[in-house]
Amino acid sequence: MSNTNIPSPSVWTDREKLIFRFFFLFFILQAIPLSVDFFKIVFGFNWFHISYGDIFNLTRLSAKFLPGADSLINWIIVAIIAIIGVVAWGKSKYKDIDYDQFYYWLRVVVRYRLAIGIIGYGFIKFFPLQAPFPSISNLNTSYGDFTDWKIFSMSLGIVPSYEAFLGAIEILAGLLLFFRKTATIGAAIILVFTGNVFISNLAYEGGEFVYATYLVTFALFVLWFDAQRIYNLVSLERPTLPNSFKPHFAGKTKTLRLVFKTLVIFFFVFLYGFKTYSGFHHDPYQFPRTKGLARAAGIYNVSEFRINGRVLPYAAVDSIRWKDVVFEKWATISVRSDRKVIVDSANYEQVFKNDKDRDYELAGTAGRHYYSYTIDSVNHILLLDNKNPHYKGEQLRLRYSRPDSVTVTLSGTNQHRDSIYVVLNKIDKKYPLKLSRRKALKL
Amino acid sequence: MSEIIQQDIENGVTAQQAEAKKPWSGQKKFGFRVLFIFFLAMSIPFSANWYKNVFTLDWSRPHYRDLYDIARFQPSFLSLFGGQRLRHITDSPSGDETAKKDRARKNKAEKADTKKENAKALPPKRSFLADYVDWGIALVFALVGALIWTAFDRKSKSYHILYYWIRVVVRYRAGIGIIGFGFTKLFPTQMPYPSLGLLNSNFGDFTAQKIYWLSVGVVPWYQVFGGVVEIVAGAMLFFRKTSTFGAILLAAALGDITFVNYAYDGGVHVYAFYFVLLGLFIAADDFPKLYNLLILERYTVPFRVYPNFRKPWLKYSRITLKVLTFVIFFGVLTYTEIINFKYDPYKQPATAGVKKLRGNYRVSEFKVNGEVIPFNPLDSTRWQEATFENWTTLTFKINRPVLIDPSNGGGSPMRDIQRTFEISGVAGGQRAFHYYADTVDKVLYLQDKNVMALRGGRKGADKAKEAKPKEDNWISKTAWQHIGDENKMIDKAAWSTRRDREFEEKPREVKRQRMVLKYDTTDGSRVILSGINERKDSIYVVLDRYDRQYVLPKSTLSAGKY
Repeated sequence: MSNTNIPSPSVWTDREKLIFRFFFLFFILQAIPLSVDFFKIVFGFNWFHISYGDIFNLTRLSAKFLPGADSLINWIIVAIIAIIGVVAWGKSKYKDIDYDQFYYWLRVVVRYRLAIGIIGYGFIKFFPLQAPFPSISNLNTSYGDFTDWKIFSMSLGIVPSYEAFLGAIEILAGLLLFFRKTATIGAAIILVFTGNVFISNLAYEGGEFVYATYLVTFALFVLWFDAQRIYNLVSLERPTLPNSFKPHFAGKTKTLRLVFKTLVIFFFVFLYGFKTYSGFHHDPYQFPRTKGLARAAGIYNVSEFRINGRVLPYAAVDSIRWKDVVFEKWATISVRSDRKVIVDSANYEQVFKNDKDRDYELAGTAGRHYYSYTIDSVNHILLLDNKNPHYKGEQLRLRYSRPDSVTVTLSGTNQHRDSIYVVLNKIDKKYPLKLSRRKALKL
Repeated sequence: MSEIIQQDIENGVTAQQAEAKKPWSGQKKFGFRVLFIFFLAMSIPFSANWYKNVFTLDWSRPHYRDLYDIARFQPSFLSLFGGQRLRHITDSPSGDETAKKDRARKNKAEKADTKKENAKALPPKRSFLADYVDWGIALVFALVGALIWTAFDRKSKSYHILYYWIRVVVRYRAGIGIIGFGFTKLFPTQMPYPSLGLLNSNFGDFTAQKIYWLSVGVVPWYQVFGGVVEIVAGAMLFFRKTSTFGAILLAAALGDITFVNYAYDGGVHVYAFYFVLLGLFIAADDFPKLYNLLILERYTVPFRVYPNFRKPWLKYSRITLKVLTFVIFFGVLTYTEIINFKYDPYKQPATAGVKKLRGNYRVSEFKVNGEVIPFNPLDSTRWQEATFENWTTLTFKINRPVLIDPSNGGGSPMRDIQRTFEISGVAGGQRAFHYYADTVDKVLYLQDKNVMALRGGRKGADKAKEAKPKEDNWISKTAWQHIGDENKMIDKAAWSTRRDREFEEKPREVKRQRMVLKYDTTDGSRVILSGINERKDSIYVVLDRYDRQYVLPKSTLSAGKY
């Protein structure tokens, strides 16, 4: 521990022991997901059909005493418990344990917890699920109508290769953490990359900064083990002794260790990796799964708009008239108008199974109202439900007809029970993002 | 205890001495010679412009770009042989260079004029390897040089001292280079916060590159953080004890930026990767030791030979070099960057727009040649919405396609009209016009900022040679008197010799689209524009200002003084 070249066993001063006891309790408590969510997830598992979402949610757990989003108050509670523990420990007969041994085991726990956490995020980036390519509605929303967090996510979404690269780095760092000798390198990578995530979360007002801080503290702890040695060698250019503590496994513990390690790596790397891979192909989680009206996806100009029989002509400003309408590939319709939108902002990562919970497309954006819909294909009726929780219960019931492949007419009642009649004409919209970057673009 | 340490250190020292005396193998010596020449060639500026800039620099009235251009160079042997770069890989070619390359490109373009008009608009085709052609040339130099060196140098057993010096050269090269970059982020001017016209554009109407630049621009504090990282990495490279950590940080950060540039088509991938290479070279010295210590868990004795710095000439030249670097790249550069950030953010026009004309406007009425055109999102002549920016720009949207300017709006032109960040990479029918305002007669003299669209895409080409420009008097002498001198329109603190020089040069003649519009307003809430538009039609436009609430948080760190 100390910055000398004395061979093992290293000498622990009383102060070091005290500090160690605190960190021991602190990190152990942080690493064990002491929260209601943990039990919810574990018992909510369908063990025969584990989805990558379940595993992801599991990797993301931390000690949580307060309901709701992550908060640093949980940390304070953990720290207080740790301090009480330290006092009790200092008075107990367990005061003089083998500190090298304990340090080793603590580092094992921290390493594994960190590895699982970082791999959790790694795979949903490596298979670019976390930030999908923006929806048609999102592409047709003014830049100023997004929160900065949403801009961050969409900007990443347009470059899946870069997202995959970031994921690969995280997975690599995670894998390095599973092995004692390479753990320091893994921790250093995490510090540089997750440190960046942490700062960008602060900057873009993302909801992940508590969790990012959590990972950063774990990485710092792992790195600390070798930090002084590295400083001694690289900066001071002095001869340096390596770590001298080697864990000793024999007999049963040896088998146990091997089984445990294999299980963890199998579950969080192979199984989870495979699940995210198949999820990427069959069920990306940010957007709803239910298919929308067939061959309707695109943006439509509203060429005619009538309300209670009265025609509203095109106008630069009109709070009732629709400006344009988007049909997504999935069952979502969005409408742009001058009607105000109260922004729904959930900005931390959760993987939802049900379409109605999948609100990524409208999270953090104004400018359009988003409706999920069901199709009654016999009577040609669309039943629209506003997805934004601020407009709960807002329903539109619209009969649709499609006189030709580029026209849709809708007629029925809007959320105020006014009767509306709308003619939509598909716009042949081109996006620079989807066109070749090698040609001159005239748009 | 202390004895043991003492003994260890002594053992270490003897081990080091033994190591120093050990002769290198022939292979190792040859490899070193190649690397030495290669990295020297990569770290020393070879372009005439670089030296011209350094020797004509007016230190009494510096501009941040003067220093930035010192810091910003990369091997460009191709241009030495009269070739031209395939593409501006820099965010910021110096003005002269741009002109020269453009001329060259133009000549070529003329020959190929019969070919498809559009082809000229492209960033020329690029392949993965072609971008790195200058590195290849450096490597060829290095191989040839090393062969000659090997033939003449039969005595040297090892090159510890030369190794030390090449590391110093690379450290300083990388350090200075990255600091030049870092400061434009520390005082966030590299990625400006989106202007109103950009905020009103659809996300899907931007090019990938634009989306990246904007996504950093919206979070100026994050940009500051990026600047801090780059500057800290750079500063660490100037000190022996921290150089390895600085190099690792540099390689990691710039590796990320390299990938970003590939993914978003940012265009600075070669320059970014250049730093990765330099960083790795610097850090490489410590990698075997760290491997030995951490992975093999073996006792590790570091080893490095230093020149004897007790020699006075070495000592003083070292101190001078270090102090000079710090004064220039931390002192003067900080000062000029602050000035630039406060008064003249280099990607935004610097001249304040007419005070009354600011904000988002609805186009309430629009007449062409006396005929009213009602609002219709599909109409291809009517303006749909307009903005007057804080600076001298009017933007408006028309439902008519336009060639996109694919550049990143960089460089550091002094003239506002050439600062095109607000329009480059933007589709969706967005137009941006620069204006000179005659506030006495209330007339705006507007010119299209999108040069790409005008020339069928010959971005940057100047037509000066093709036709002697006629005396251009679309703005009368009296009007010019009312308008004033653009050079002097920014805060006096930001005046510089570089700015003077650029304004003295005749502007490159570009036939831009023009409008001359009278404006009539009391307080700016309603503005009536009337006059001749770019198609020589007479137009009459009534604009009504409205207050648009954005979801995107406002910038808390705004550049410029308007």
